Parts: sequence; structure tokens; C-alpha cells
Amino acid sequence: MPEVDVDEYKDIWVFIEEHAGEVAPVSWELLAEAKQLMDEKPDDEELVALVIGSDVDDVAEEAIARGADRVLVADDPIFEPYRADPYGKQFRELVAERKPDIALIGGTTTGRDFAGRVAVPTHAGLTADCTQLGIDDEGHLEAGRPAFGGNVVATIKCEAHRPQMATIRPGVFEPLDRDENREGEIEHVDVAVEEDETVTEVLEREVGDTADITDADRIVAAGGGVEGDLSPVERLAEALDAEVAASRKAVDEGWIQHARQVGQTGKTVRPELYVAVGISGAVQHLEGMNDSDVVVAINNDPNAPIFDHADYGIVGDLFEVCDELVAAFEDADDPQEVLA
Amino acid sequence: MTDNWTVVVGIKQVPDEDDVTIDPDTGTLNRAEAAAILNPPDRNALEAALQLKDEVGAEVIAFTMGPPTATPVLDLAVALGCDDAALISDMAFAGSDTWPTSLTLAYATEYFDADVGIFGEETTDSSTGQVPPGIAAHLDWAQLTYVEDLDPRPEDDQLVATRDVEGGHEVVAADLPVIVAVGYGDNEPRPAGLHRKLYAETEFEPIELDAEELGIDPDEVGLDASPTQVGGMDTADPVEREQKVVDSVEDLAAAIAEEGVV
Repeated sequence: MPEVDVDEYKDIWVFIEEHAGEVAPVSWELLAEAKQLMDEKPDDEELVALVIGSDVDDVAEEAIARGADRVLVADDPIFEPYRADPYGKQFRELVAERKPDIALIGGTTTGRDFAGRVAVPTHAGLTADCTQLGIDDEGHLEAGRPAFGGNVVATIKCEAHRPQMATIRPGVFEPLDRDENREGEIEHVDVAVEEDETVTEVLEREVGDTADITDADRIVAAGGGVEGDLSPVERLAEALDAEVAASRKAVDEGWIQHARQVGQTGKTVRPELYVAVGISGAVQHLEGMNDSDVVVAINNDPNAPIFDHADYGIVGDLFEVCDELVAAFEDADDPQEVLA
Repeated sequence: MTDNWTVVVGIKQVPDEDDVTIDPDTGTLNRAEAAAILNPPDRNALEAALQLKDEVGAEVIAFTMGPPTATPVLDLAVALGCDDAALISDMAFAGSDTWPTSLTLAYATEYFDADVGIFGEETTDSSTGQVPPGIAAHLDWAQLTYVEDLDPRPEDDQLVATRDVEGGHEVVAADLPVIVAVGYGDNEPRPAGLHRKLYAETEFEPIELDAEELGIDPDEVGLDASPTQVGGMDTADPVEREQKVVDSVEDLAAAIAEEGVV
């Protein structure tokens, strides 16, 4: 491996994931967390937002309002929609020129596609799906990721290589509110890619449901127990004014889209109320919802591990329980009335 | 136009997740005792590769990077319909993180002169998902990740994929050669045929390749060539819960209402 002078590398970069001007919320979460990490960095270093896209001036300005000291903007039609090859080449050129110490990327499907691509040519150390970040006494990034289904948190370091890269699971950190008075510098960089160098072409792109479960106050989540029929979960979610989420099993079976998956390789949620319907409670799932205020479990298996991780549980047929619960809440205009 | 596509499919043997237990006293993991299985997402990778065989007559070669004890996954690949399979094994690979792992698999992909390399979305024992894009980056090839469906277009030397993107789908055409990562559960893996199974169990012997045969400098792989190191392991604190199991839906509704969360 080539020797790297780690002292040449400075600043924290955050990749701002945007699609047609719409920013993935995890990007702002990362800026907020990176701002905390900046306290452990020398004063002359900057928090840099990296915006790659087409017509992204508004995104660049929002990045300043959300905590960035500087925004690097690569603005060109070649970058819309996202493709790994042009984004990767642009990132590689920027890293070679500017030598960032740390680069943080959201753990979405796009973020994972991008991170895996760009870490190799820059010979970066890349840690996946982190839920904790810190900087040690020697200035190295400590990237904590749940391992073995969240029973342990492994701390990954990259001492001899730069940049230190990590993808971070969406929903773990709180974004900063927009502060329009914040000041920062927006810098347009040279576009390093030409269309005739690309090897992919996006023929169609259809993004409809971009619901963000990480923001929800109440969640009703479906597991393998629903056996492909989401209707009871959807009815209960409607009665509780909740978002629908799912375990990996339900996503892998194709019953519900990946954007609504909770747990390892999905999202971290922390609602006031989390209702697990037909979810056995695999550790990989628990990891994504353990910070919920109140957890309710509905399952027909009294030995399901989910009951150990719930505040209230009921053993029974989930179809019946869901519909009876819907009825109980709908009969009561004021939910407190069900107490009577 | 490339005649007769060669498709390689990378697979891995992993401990059965359901079998990994944790010693409650020491907090250490009993991985050694867990059954060794084919990484579940690799079933979908194999199926996608075999569909290309059905559709365009591709030759499909499976490979795995691992110890000699990993050959059962190669037998399974051959039983399912792969034309051949290779064990990529060398002490020099020990301790590799995703950087040298993807380098090794990139060399193996080139060794077989592949037009398409197909992999699972991630492995269940490390779940990084970094290796397929890493291979594409080492080779400077196109990459298609989180793929739900493949549409081969040999007349254009292209592979068209439907991909899962956050909140929707996209259709992407990639010029060959290309690396594909198939979404976990996104196709219906076929069962092994009886004849093929018999062949895999009795006659089939995997190709064996080491670092030298792949043209890999041992200094490029293994622990010393891995940019990341595990700095420590901490046991996660359990979250305290009430663990009250109620008898009726009325009681449950009342409990939820009392928490003031609806």
C-alpha cells in the first residue's frame, strides 16, 4: 500500500445527496453531527459540504444554513440523475486536489453505491452503516457500527490512510434547524467528467413515495407475520395517524419498499410509539427501533423475542388484534376515552 | 458486439446468522459453532446469473474467496446450473477488509475474462455492501447495485437493469463490462436439478486459484493492505422495557392511551 502522510489531510466533508433538487434528510443529519466533530479538530479546519448535481444553487445555500463553513459545488447536467461513474470520477478528482481528512456519506442505497465506488481509488478506509462517530486523542475518526445484530458496537479506525470515510445510517442524528444568518463560502469547482466518458445511462426514473419514516412520531411496522397482507397494518397506522414501516423480512419478500425498512441495513427510528406487528424481534431489527419511547408488540408467538423488548405486548392473531385496536381507537374521538 | 457472454458470480460461505449465539456471561460470540451456509443474498446473485445463461447463452462461472472448507458453496452453485466454479484461496488473503477483498475479486473477474460480474447485495456476516462497487472501481467498469431485474441486450453490448432507489425505481443501461449487485430477495432462486446435483456431488472438482495464479502481489492484500482496523468492541446497553403482556385488546388500547402517545 502507498504510504500516506495523514497530516496533509484536513477538513470534514459531508456528501449532500440530492435528487432533482430534493435533498436526502440524512445529509443534514450528517452536517449536524460533523459540526460536533469539528470541536475536536484544529481551528483552521473547515466543515465542507459537497454538492454534486444540476442546478443546485438552492441546495448549496441550504447547506450553509444547515451548518457548513464551505460548500463545494460541481454543477452540471451530467450529474442529474445520480450515476456512480460520473459522481465517482468527480469525487476522486476533488479528493486528489483537496485531501479531505474525513468524508461522511448517508447510508441510503445511493450513498452506499457512491461510497463503495469512491473509497477504492482514493484508498480510503470505509466503514459501513455507522451509528456513532467520534475523534480519538490522536485525531483519528472512530466509526462505531453495530455488529452481530447490535449486540456489540465495533469501533473501526483507519490510522494510516486518508480520507477516513464512513456511511451513516439515516435517522441516527438530529439535523440542525436552518439558520439563514449563518455565513459560509460557496465555491464552484471544475467539472471533471464528460458525457462521452460515461458508461451508464439512466433510461427511466420513477420516484413516488419518498416518505421519511425517520421523522415519524408514531410508527406501525409490519413483519413476516403479516404474510403479504399489509392491510391490517395500514388500517392501524391510519387510526393512529402513524407511518407504516417494516422489518427486513417484509421488505425482502417484496411486500413493502426498502425505504421503509427499520433496522440494520435500513433506517433508525425513534418515534413516541412503535407498534411491531408480526415482527419476531431479530436483533437486526431491534437495533433500528430501540430508541422508541413506547414499544408495543403484537404477535401470535408468546415466545417471540420482541416481547422482551416491548413495553406492552399482546399474544394473538395480528389480523384480529389490529382490527379490534382500530375499532377501539375509532370509537373514541378522544383517545383518553378508551380508558373509561 | 461480444459473442457468448462470460458471467462470473461471486459467492461466499458465511455463518448461519440464526445459529450465532452470544455467551451471556462474557458477551463473546460463538461463531465457530454456527453452521456454514451460502450467504443468503448470493442465492439471488446465482439466480440472476443463471437467468442470463438462459436468455443469452452465457457461460456462468461461480467463485468464492475463502478457505478450502468453503467448497460446499461451489458444489451448490454447480448443482444450481453454473458451468464451473473456482476456489480462490491463499494465506495472503487472511485479514482482508473490503479494499483488498474487492481487489482480489476484481483480479478473479479479469482472470475469467468476464463480461459481467454478479454479486449479492451484501454478506450477512459483515453487511457492508461495499465489495461490488469496490470491484467495479478497481476495474473501472460500470456498476449496477440494488438490482431487481436484468435485461440483457447483447446486440448493443449492454446490460439494462431495474434498480431500487430510495422511494422508487430506475432503469439504467450499462455498457459492458459491468459489475452487478442483485438486491436481496429480488428474484425467485431456482432449485437444483437432480442430474446437476448428482454431478456436483460426485464428479465435480472446483478450479483452485491462489494469489500468484491471479497475478496478485501478496503485499496488495491481507491484513496489512487493509485501510480499516477494528479498534474495539463494546457491548451495547440493553434498553429497559416494561415487558407487560396484556390479555385483551381493550387493555392494550388503554395502556397505549395512558402513555399519551396517541
